[in-house]
Amino acid sequence: MPRFWLVSTVLGAVAALATAGSVLFQGAEWEWRSSFLVGGEFLYLRLDGVSALFLALLAVLGGAGAVYASEYWPDKAHPRSATAGRAWWNVMLASLAFVLVTSNGLHFLLAWEAFTFAGYFLITLDRHRREVRAAGWLYLAASHAGTVCLFAFFAAVASHNGSWELGPMREHTDLAPFFWLALFGFGLKSGMFPLHIWLPSAHASAPSHVSALFSGVTIKIGIYGLVRFTGWMPVPDIAGWVIAALGVASAVLGVAFALGQHDLKRLLAYHSVENIGIILIGLGFAVVATATDGGDWGRLALAGGLLHIWNHGLFKALLFLGAGSVLHATGTREMSRLGGLWRAMPWTASLFALGAAAISGLPPLNGFVSEWLVYLGLFDGAIARGPIAWPLVLAAILLGVTGALALACFIKVCGVVFLGAPRSRAVTHAHESGLAMRAPMLVLAAGCVAIGLAPVVFWPAVATAVGAWRPGWADAATIVPDSLFALSWAHGVLAAVGLAAATWLWQRTRRGLQRAVTWDCGYEMPSATMQYTAGSFAGIITGWFAWILRPQRHAHCPVDVFPAAAHFEEHTPETVLEHVVEPAGAAVMRLATLVRRLQHGRLNAYLLYLIVGVAALAAVVLLEDRP
Amino acid sequence: MGLNLLALASSRLPSLIGAVSVQGIALGVMPLLIEHELRWLVLLVAVATVGLKGFVIPTLLRRAMRTANIDREVEPSIGFVPSLLLGAGGTIAAVALARALPLLPEHTGSLLVPGALASVLTGFVLLIGRSKAISQVCGYLILENGIYLFGLLLIHSTPLLVEAGILLDLTVGVFVIGIIVDRIQRAFDSLDTRKLTVLRE
Repeated sequence: MPRFWLVSTVLGAVAALATAGSVLFQGAEWEWRSSFLVGGEFLYLRLDGVSALFLALLAVLGGAGAVYASEYWPDKAHPRSATAGRAWWNVMLASLAFVLVTSNGLHFLLAWEAFTFAGYFLITLDRHRREVRAAGWLYLAASHAGTVCLFAFFAAVASHNGSWELGPMREHTDLAPFFWLALFGFGLKSGMFPLHIWLPSAHASAPSHVSALFSGVTIKIGIYGLVRFTGWMPVPDIAGWVIAALGVASAVLGVAFALGQHDLKRLLAYHSVENIGIILIGLGFAVVATATDGGDWGRLALAGGLLHIWNHGLFKALLFLGAGSVLHATGTREMSRLGGLWRAMPWTASLFALGAAAISGLPPLNGFVSEWLVYLGLFDGAIARGPIAWPLVLAAILLGVTGALALACFIKVCGVVFLGAPRSRAVTHAHESGLAMRAPMLVLAAGCVAIGLAPVVFWPAVATAVGAWRPGWADAATIVPDSLFALSWAHGVLAAVGLAAATWLWQRTRRGLQRAVTWDCGYEMPSATMQYTAGSFAGIITGWFAWILRPQRHAHCPVDVFPAAAHFEEHTPETVLEHVVEPAGAAVMRLATLVRRLQHGRLNAYLLYLIVGVAALAAVVLLEDRP
Repeated sequence: MGLNLLALASSRLPSLIGAVSVQGIALGVMPLLIEHELRWLVLLVAVATVGLKGFVIPTLLRRAMRTANIDREVEPSIGFVPSLLLGAGGTIAAVALARALPLLPEHTGSLLVPGALASVLTGFVLLIGRSKAISQVCGYLILENGIYLFGLLLIHSTPLLVEAGILLDLTVGVFVIGIIVDRIQRAFDSLDTRKLTVLRE
């Protein structure tokens, strides 16, 4: 049965990928209306460039995750949850795909709820652990807060249009204010900065293949909503600036929070916030461009943002699957207990390092390509326009800062987890994962390399999506930017040089390697605990951001000449959750408890409420009658 | 209306029930006094009302009181003097309110409307201010009497079936309450409805 599930899921993913590819590369649009009613509405499915872009990503990650799960979450190790995991995985994929293709507000909401629930059950597969249940609950509560806004949004649009069906409606300028509802609802799902509260714990507690799907696709569905409805609907004038500002905040603060984490998967989750920020910067400035001059630069920024959706999906899924392999082999996500895994898990370590290089935006990989396009858009815009040039330059600088911090963060991760000496016994028994876990990682890594080396090949797909977003840009978008050709060549040369250097090093190593003790600063008997830890490595940078990270330190330093027992512990909480949402929630709870005293079960008092209410109503009526 | 105040002031259950039954009989006779020509329909309603409100329901209540075997104090949570003041205030308010209401010209002068409102208010005061189940039933009955009195304004347009249905509902309601009173007594060893709060949620 698991085998049948695996084969059919992978086949379905391949079919979806082929469909999406035909739309993206051949420009064919696909539309279908049913003759029967579902929930009182006719089905109206439509696959255009924007939908196909996300559908392709969903297909790749859905298939890869299914293969990975067959070894990572097998029936033998998880007899109670493996079957449920497979079922919910498919519910998740199907409802996500339906969200992407449906053009009916009501069906959109139905599918939206379906994948929210599927996501909840996938996150809580391992639900006998308390933290997993808490994470699932937080996810569900946050998702519903967002869904409420989407209900309001779709209902408002439907009542304005007189129909639940969706489509381009840019001429209805009175719909513009509803954009803010959409921004909250979709933004919450996408995990942009102040609304990301549910994301770190959910991503960290879910099984790794689920984290990969969540981070790779599910949060992108929030982005899909924003891309879709900024394209179809009129937006308020400052919408583009707001999106871009949220994007910058998400990018910089996301990576800052990531630096403060010591839990491998939690760290990766914060990097999702960062990358969502980069995507939003691209989208936000594209909206700004359409609102101001409809310029060429907005097209480049949007293309960069859309390509980054693919790229982030690929390398973040790769990283989560790599983290899953580490977790599978060692049983811990705590970086202070890992170390030296390079020798035991060469495949995982190299693939993780590749993903890390890609997410840090290093050439010649895919992260660099999309960030390059965003930079290009920002700089073109800055050159072309006087008054809005300064914010664009500022955004470009902050984007650069983000890239640098991300690089620092992933040097920390790779250094602490894979290099050095093992920090605990868990690591010494680590083993490389099997083929079913390595193969999906290889496929994703190949995707990263392919987009990095041949961005020109993938440009038409992005151009189709750009054309679907703004038909006015469709013709201009088909022209490949010159710099992309240059970039392809440069990446090719760089990759060749890198490969040659690696081969040379490999040859040298094979001839024999001298192993010696690391210089131990004059200490006798160095031990593994003397290595840099994750916290100490990132200490300086987290110090810069202490105003928002608010790290909690518990230090017990040795004071005497002779070393005594010492203790140091640092923990970076989820600041927005603990300092904003929880106090607000507690205030609401207190208020609700006060109101609850009214319901005490005494019949007499209930009757008193009744008569007071009737008397008040009578007073209102009588006073109104009297002029 | 004096009966309302009597009901508010009475400290023992039998006298409370007595007040209710006398009020019921007075109500039953009322249509006969209002109508100028005697019709069989009005007569039927009057007889049924007197029978049920004046005799059947009080009997049911007395029996419930006996079987529950409770002491006959009323146990007010609003004292007798405040209840009386409230009742008097309610009556004055009812008269004032009746002036303010947009009534048909032929009803403006009659005392029916203020009387009905005063009875409803008294019923509420009893319901709110008494804690024993049986005294609350009496409050409910007085409240219902007020509504009935109001309904007399419409006796020409209300079909017999509706009147009969209301009476039947009332009787069945009291009957059921009589049974429940017994059950409450057995379960809680008291008829104090305040003790029912343990049942919430």
